[in-house]
Amino acid sequence: MSEEATTQFILPSVLITKADLSRLVREIEDLDNEFEAQKVRNQAAGKHDEGYHMPAISEGLSEFAEQNKIDLTDDHARQELRKQIKRIKEKAPILHMTFAVEADVPALRELVEYIRKEFHPQALLQVGLQPSLVGGVYMRTPNRAYDFSIRAKLAQNRNIIQQDLDMLLNAIPVVEAPPEDDMEPPADGGQG
Amino acid sequence: MSDTMIIGLLAVIIGSLLVGGGVSWILFTRMHRQAKKPVDKQEEIAKLNKAYTEMAEEDALHLFNAEFREELRNRGRLRFEKIIDENANFLKQDLDATTAKLNEYMQQQIMAKLDEEFGAYAKAMHDAQNMALTSLQKTAEEIETQRHALSEALKAEMAEREKALLKVYEENMAKIIEHYLLQALGNHFDLKSQLPYIIKEMEANKKAIMEDMRL
Repeated sequence: MSEEATTQFILPSVLITKADLSRLVREIEDLDNEFEAQKVRNQAAGKHDEGYHMPAISEGLSEFAEQNKIDLTDDHARQELRKQIKRIKEKAPILHMTFAVEADVPALRELVEYIRKEFHPQALLQVGLQPSLVGGVYMRTPNRAYDFSIRAKLAQNRNIIQQDLDMLLNAIPVVEAPPEDDMEPPADGGQG
Repeated sequence: MSDTMIIGLLAVIIGSLLVGGGVSWILFTRMHRQAKKPVDKQEEIAKLNKAYTEMAEEDALHLFNAEFREELRNRGRLRFEKIIDENANFLKQDLDATTAKLNEYMQQQIMAKLDEEFGAYAKAMHDAQNMALTSLQKTAEEIETQRHALSEALKAEMAEREKALLKVYEENMAKIIEHYLLQALGNHFDLKSQLPYIIKEMEANKKAIMEDMRL
């Protein structure tokens, strides 16, 4: 498979982070080992035409193989797949996303689907947690950072609170100081 | 007794005295002449002189007897009384006039003195009043100045305080609100509920994000 073929890989939404791809690579390696073991056992048993027995695989690997139409029992295909996945892991753009709450998998899957659909089909996420963001997300691309957090929104709209406060202050009746004339001593003071 | 009578009596008395004196002078002259004579003659002369003296004394006693002396005494007493009365009247008149003048003088002096004293007192009172008034005005001016300065200082202090409070409030307002929102919202809004907002924000910055990811 060439680099062009690598870019055509569709990453399922269950594969969200770089760690997921690493797990996928390990799982493929495990799968290689398993098939190699089955092959040795079959040769020992004299069953040279016996195919591989597919062991239980993860949802991520299953979806990945299904969506990219890859036959996991094909040794060459797996070998290439492993290489390409490692390549994707190294080359794919990573979005660092920090949330104010714990990120649940369904929400992350929905988000990564949107990102891969709109921005890059092989984008990966790196998830962080920062409760002080209040809400939203603080996102960092390879070149820039985007603060879509509620904290940033609040900071941007501080002037609204200031305006409200000013209006409130203007609405409070102010007791005026007595006029200067009232403070002057009487004209005949001290002469009576 | 009229004055003429008194003058006549006085003339008689003076005449008698002159006669007595002349007689005595003559006798003395004779006796002086006879002194050059022998001693017996001198004795005779002495006797004679003595006789004449006694005669003169007797005549004098005849002239100035008790009635006459009483009369003279009465006349003198009356005259003295009259003079005394007249003098007393004069004295009384003078005394009355003097008293009146003295009263008037005293009144004038006292009035002048009182006027002077009252004037001085009024002047002193006026001066004291002016001083008190000046002092009061000065005190009032100082109080007014101090009040003005205090008012200005208070205004400046209030403005400074208000500014500092607003600054502190503005600086901490966001933190307070964020803290409040964080505490109030907590984990009530999970990521799924925040996704529309996140996607909306990303959509708004889609172009920039795509450019970043292409690099």
